[in-house]
Amino acid sequence: MALRAIRWGWSRAVWQRLALVLLWLGHGVWVLLGPSPARHWTSLVDALSRPSQSLATRWEGWRAARRDSGQTLAATRAENARLTQELAQIRTLTAQQAPRLAEAEEAKQLLGLKQQIPMALKAARVIFSTRPATFGGLILDRGRDLGLEPDQGVLVPEGIVGRLWSVSDTQAKVLPADAPNASVAVMLTRSRATGVLQGLGSGRAAIRYVSNQEVVQTGEAVLTSGLDRVFPRGLLVGYVGEVAQGDLELRVIVNLSAPLDRINTVLVLPSQPPLEVQPPFLAPEPKPQRKWGTP
Amino acid sequence: MRTSAPSLTRQNLFCAAALGLIVLSAPFPMLQAVLHAALVLALAPRTESPLFGTLWALAAGWALEGTLRLYPHLGGTAWADMTLTLLASWMVGRWPLEGLKGWWVRLASLSLLHALLVHGAVRLATTSHPWGWGWFWTLLSVPLWGWLTWRLLHAGPSSGRR
Repeated sequence: MALRAIRWGWSRAVWQRLALVLLWLGHGVWVLLGPSPARHWTSLVDALSRPSQSLATRWEGWRAARRDSGQTLAATRAENARLTQELAQIRTLTAQQAPRLAEAEEAKQLLGLKQQIPMALKAARVIFSTRPATFGGLILDRGRDLGLEPDQGVLVPEGIVGRLWSVSDTQAKVLPADAPNASVAVMLTRSRATGVLQGLGSGRAAIRYVSNQEVVQTGEAVLTSGLDRVFPRGLLVGYVGEVAQGDLELRVIVNLSAPLDRINTVLVLPSQPPLEVQPPFLAPEPKPQRKWGTP
Repeated sequence: MRTSAPSLTRQNLFCAAALGLIVLSAPFPMLQAVLHAALVLALAPRTESPLFGTLWALAAGWALEGTLRLYPHLGGTAWADMTLTLLASWMVGRWPLEGLKGWWVRLASLSLLHALLVHGAVRLATTSHPWGWGWFWTLLSVPLWGWLTWRLLHAGPSSGRR
């Protein structure tokens, strides 16, 4: 008998067909349910709720970011205020410390000068300045209590200041080198010509008794000659500012190198110092031997 | 020239024997896969009584998964076997067999489809799992078991064809 297509009739085979369909569908449902039947519904619900969950997550993230940014801004403002206050305190402290720093720096320079000049120098502090007044000078805080006497030379690292004019028990008055009644024996560096420095005021002075035959250049350094026995030879006085021919002598104007209006501490030379003072011989410090392997 | 249909008794006997071999060949998965495919695709399909063929396929699927005992939820293979048996039965009625070569081609096509459907159904019932090599050995041995089932069912003494 030849094979032919199955004929799905409504007679006896309908029950078989129904059983077949039910068997196939039931088994398919069994397969679909799987080990945990709820997982399909869970997956479906998850898939449906994923957009809303994503939106909620983004909304919450935006709120958290906004809250964090607000806290960060507040913290930054507080830190800014604290730093501003600290900066103001530091500026005030710096302003308070500035004079002390200047004095320390000046003392350091004085110490260096003291080491360069091998003499018994004495330090004193300027407590008052009467230079704007006629025949004014500088008032030192030490007098005879420190062994000071009139006509002792006074100098600072930048150059000479003047000489002691009067000395009391606890104070001394300095006659600055630019005072009209002050005189200092000086010499020119290049020509080695000597003369007498007389003050003109305002940090300027003129050298007298320099012959017209001498050649003096502007900017030439002027040193003490030591002939007045107030200053030893070789201390810096100032620099030549103007040179003019006179009838009998050169008219040499000197700009004093010492800042007479801004002096806080001075060194006082001993009385009747020697004419020539040689700086002490300072042997160079040997460099430390560096060993291999040491940092 | 069309072939004759095998007798139901003979077909049921062969199906029972194949089912027993499936159970007994559990220690040899490749052989079991081949026997399983032969039962589902070649021995079980029938035009007159698709319900019995489907039951044999159902039993083959449960026997295979039962002997494996690897899946957390059984039944996927059995459902795929039922579907393929129904499809093969419909193909037998729709396109009657005319020779051994056509039988081989049909079995090869059904074997591929069967492998895909079994894998999909098991994945649906449980979860993702490795493919294994059963489908390959099944496809490779189609000429052997196709020839054997052809001789047993369609070219036996009752049909008069050798």
